[in-house]
Amino acid sequence: MATLTDELASAIAELEDEKVLDLVQTRLDSGTSPLEIVGNLQQGMTEVGMRFEAGTYFLSELVMCGEIMKDAMNILEPRLAGADQKHRGSIVIGTVKGDVHDLGKNIVVMLLKGAGYNVIDLGIDVPGEKFIEAIRANGAPLVGMSVLLTACQEGMKGIIEEIRAAGLDTRVVIGGNYVDESVRDYVKADYFAHNASDAVKIADGIFVH
Amino acid sequence: MSMDKEELFQERLNRYTTALKGGKPDKVPIRLQLSEFMAAYAGIKLQDIYYDLDKNNEAVDKILTDFDLDVCGGAPSLWWAGLHDAVGAKYLKFAGRELEENRQFQYVEQEYMKADDYDAFIADPTKWILEAYLPRIHEEFAEPGSYRANLALIKGTAAMMMANGSAQQAAAHWAKDFGMPGSISGISKAPFDTLGDTLRGLKGIMMDLRKRPDKVLAATEMLVGHNIFYGMATAGGDTTLPCFMPLHRGSFPFLNPTQWDTFYWPSLKAVIEGMWKLGKQTMFYAEGNWTPYLEAIAELPAHSIVFHVDQTDMAKAKEVLGGRFCLSGNVPNTLLAYGKPAEVKEYVKRLLHDYAADGAFIIDSAGVMQTDVKAENVFALIEAAREFGTY
Repeated sequence: MATLTDELASAIAELEDEKVLDLVQTRLDSGTSPLEIVGNLQQGMTEVGMRFEAGTYFLSELVMCGEIMKDAMNILEPRLAGADQKHRGSIVIGTVKGDVHDLGKNIVVMLLKGAGYNVIDLGIDVPGEKFIEAIRANGAPLVGMSVLLTACQEGMKGIIEEIRAAGLDTRVVIGGNYVDESVRDYVKADYFAHNASDAVKIADGIFVH
Repeated sequence: MSMDKEELFQERLNRYTTALKGGKPDKVPIRLQLSEFMAAYAGIKLQDIYYDLDKNNEAVDKILTDFDLDVCGGAPSLWWAGLHDAVGAKYLKFAGRELEENRQFQYVEQEYMKADDYDAFIADPTKWILEAYLPRIHEEFAEPGSYRANLALIKGTAAMMMANGSAQQAAAHWAKDFGMPGSISGISKAPFDTLGDTLRGLKGIMMDLRKRPDKVLAATEMLVGHNIFYGMATAGGDTTLPCFMPLHRGSFPFLNPTQWDTFYWPSLKAVIEGMWKLGKQTMFYAEGNWTPYLEAIAELPAHSIVFHVDQTDMAKAKEVLGGRFCLSGNVPNTLLAYGKPAEVKEYVKRLLHDYAADGAFIIDSAGVMQTDVKAENVFALIEAAREFGTY
């Protein structure tokens, strides 16, 4: 595990919720820039992602981390308005039409945000045109699609066809309980992610270029 | 029941229960969780399956006519949507109402039980459910004691009787006219899932593990007796067939090992052991991956469960649980949807060769099938199971 020298980053990694919120408030009060605080939070979240990948953290810890981040961002967001937030690139993500399951997708969103990406989360039951609109509006090189119900995989194939028909060559990564190579090949996606940290690795591979 | 159908019924039931008890029947029993696939195969729209009890049962008739199964898990829809409409259920969405006509039903997960409900829930769960929970999740029951709420109780009860009556009649018809036994009787849950699935939701329960662990523990302990009773009551006391127990939040990697050992396992073990004392076996329907927990599961009384493999490592399951419990599984759902019949046959052949030789094995798909499964692959599964699964 990496050693986190920053107290806030370390508090997130250890899931110390009250300490995180105290530190965010104290730092804001003492004039630290909100962007710098976000940076520290992201450092901590990256560590949480690494611990999940290493098998020392489980989904229960990821869910907890997500809740702490949500509370921290509630304090920070009003202060971030207008700030020039640097990010590593834009990723559009959503649960495909017909499916309302979003627990897995939300964890992926959290880890991608933690890794420094600008994530446009379209929510659940998302039709093709919404994906296309968001990809265009954000110039997103990567789109993530989540599906739990196997019966909705057919619809996912249709959405990917629509994206291609719209002339977009955005890379497509898919994820969900019963998603594997055969589903990726069937729906003509570019990648599949077996878990949330796979999704981050795939994104890192794309945005490094 | 005509004599040949009666004989067929007994032959299949004997094949199934022999395997359940760890024995070696004449053939590997075929039990398939066909679910919504049955509607697709019968050419019936999902809205009709959910809303029309007769059509829901008709789909099974078509399956039993065409497919060589040993046991049947009932009709494609578990719920009668009309019942839920009558009481204004807010937590379910159905095709033909909130969803398009051919969409699978959806459960809307929320924190229907709040963190500060724990004490009231633990003190008197029935009272809390009636006074706090049911009004929150049903529009028609928003004001308990009102004329509207009283009518909702009557409508809900009447509809439940109609749905149960229809299911019982259908089961008798499948036995009499197709010689087809059921695969399960009764349903129950792990206490942690009772709390985590429909009461607190995933986020709520995961937060509770850190914020109020003592409440989670007290609630799961309180639910043990309830869940034993529920399993026995929904089975009508039957102990021939196993109680269906779909298991959720205990699969890997939801909980860390300490959380699993502390919050998930002790109360689930107590429910399984409690039912076993009454002679009732549990179908441990382990959705997802349970590989890290096989050693703990092996501590259950021999034959108290049938361990169903979804994404658990089958080789490890056989190594740790074989000889102690019957195993079932695990033809992958993606293979059934996107594979070719020859690939399905090859998978089944290898599966039976590697894991079914000593008996105590039931063939099934890994997870519950949906409309994406191809009929020719189900035929291939059955053909291979008969070809390579005859002892």
